[in-house]
Amino acid sequence: MKRDQTVDPAAHAGLSRRDLLKVAGAAGAAALAPTALTASAAQPAAPVPLPVVPVARAAGPLMNLTAAETEILSAMVDRLIPSDELGPGALEAGALRFIDRALSEAESQSADAYRAGLAALDRYSRYSRGAAFAELPVRDQDSVLIDVQTGAATGAGTGFDGSSAGFFNMVRDHTWQGTFGDPQYGGNAGFIGWDLIRYPGVRLRVTDEEQRMLEAEELEPARRSAYDFGQFQTGRPAPSERGR
Amino acid sequence: MIKAAGLTIWLAVAIGSTGQPVVGQPVGIVVESATMAAGQPMPRDHSPDGRNESPPLAWRGLPAGTRQLAVICEDHGAGNPPPWVHWIIYNIPPGASGLPQGIPFDPADPMPRGLERARQGNNGWGLAMYRGPAPPPGTVHEYEFTVLALDTELDLPAGLTRAELLEAIEGHVIGRGNLVATYARMPAAAGIQ
Repeated sequence: MKRDQTVDPAAHAGLSRRDLLKVAGAAGAAALAPTALTASAAQPAAPVPLPVVPVARAAGPLMNLTAAETEILSAMVDRLIPSDELGPGALEAGALRFIDRALSEAESQSADAYRAGLAALDRYSRYSRGAAFAELPVRDQDSVLIDVQTGAATGAGTGFDGSSAGFFNMVRDHTWQGTFGDPQYGGNAGFIGWDLIRYPGVRLRVTDEEQRMLEAEELEPARRSAYDFGQFQTGRPAPSERGR
Repeated sequence: MIKAAGLTIWLAVAIGSTGQPVVGQPVGIVVESATMAAGQPMPRDHSPDGRNESPPLAWRGLPAGTRQLAVICEDHGAGNPPPWVHWIIYNIPPGASGLPQGIPFDPADPMPRGLERARQGNNGWGLAMYRGPAPPPGTVHEYEFTVLALDTELDLPAGLTRAELLEAIEGHVIGRGNLVATYARMPAAAGIQ
């Protein structure tokens, strides 16, 4: 009965789901934050500090998903990186809006997979746990998501196209990107994701004193997008110019 | 109510991957369940077709000198190489006469009373929790719940693999019993919305 093995056994042992995601998120941010501390040779431009946006969970209507689909995806994203005593989570970071925008742009090829996967997730939830996914208690939502993650939900005949693990991995990856990626791409609102993993932020130069403070975990986060520096261009207005 | 008596198997060989003989002759333990019967399909609530909760287990006939217990659930017809592990739980005190249904899968949730020191090992998915049978559609698999009695008290950390557990308890298994149930997937009806 061997199926997709999409989890990291070592990382999960003894860790809560949130612990696991935070460990993974730290690695993800390092990959997603362009050049960060390695750009010290570049000529620094005057950075424009970004305002810290208020934390808000409500996403409002999305462009690419129906209200019902949005409700399911919102519940899923909320369990992948929940808000808890350690700080706000993926919803507050704007991961839902990030995913919606990505489905119009770089991830437009995934729109059908989202719609089919969300429908299958909800059918699976109703079949196996007796209620719509968004209406389940969080422990049951987590149990459902584990079954989706491991691929065990596939055989329930609720409409997953291929292994349910593929759908889980897609949403998880996009949730991480929308939480821990550079705010330029529409997520990580108020630098919630970077604060969550104590990422010190994008800097073009690091002084000896800052290095010492970083190692002592005393360095205040920079709270700037890489694209607030003139060296980096995306063709899209920097977050500080978009009135975020 | 206990539905059926479990199978009692007397073996001189441990279930370890090494195939090395267990020291002494394990004493037979009777393993039973309020929801499962030997050789019969288990309820869907112990599988991902339902709530995917660990089944209740009960045991009796522990050998004298039992100081701790461990439980392994595995499918000898799956895995590469077999078996595929569905559940491992250990550090079970000798006074426990079984396990209730639905052992928590989140380490943040408390274990049931009397089992506070029990820990779950990693299953075949690398998750330290119970995940039930999910054989390929159209096939019937067997799932063996094995109870091991140990002559020593260990304080093993969560997340051990089957091989790591067997290595840790090697030479300490003084009793063993099992219950084998079956399962085949129960796909949702087409009308499920």
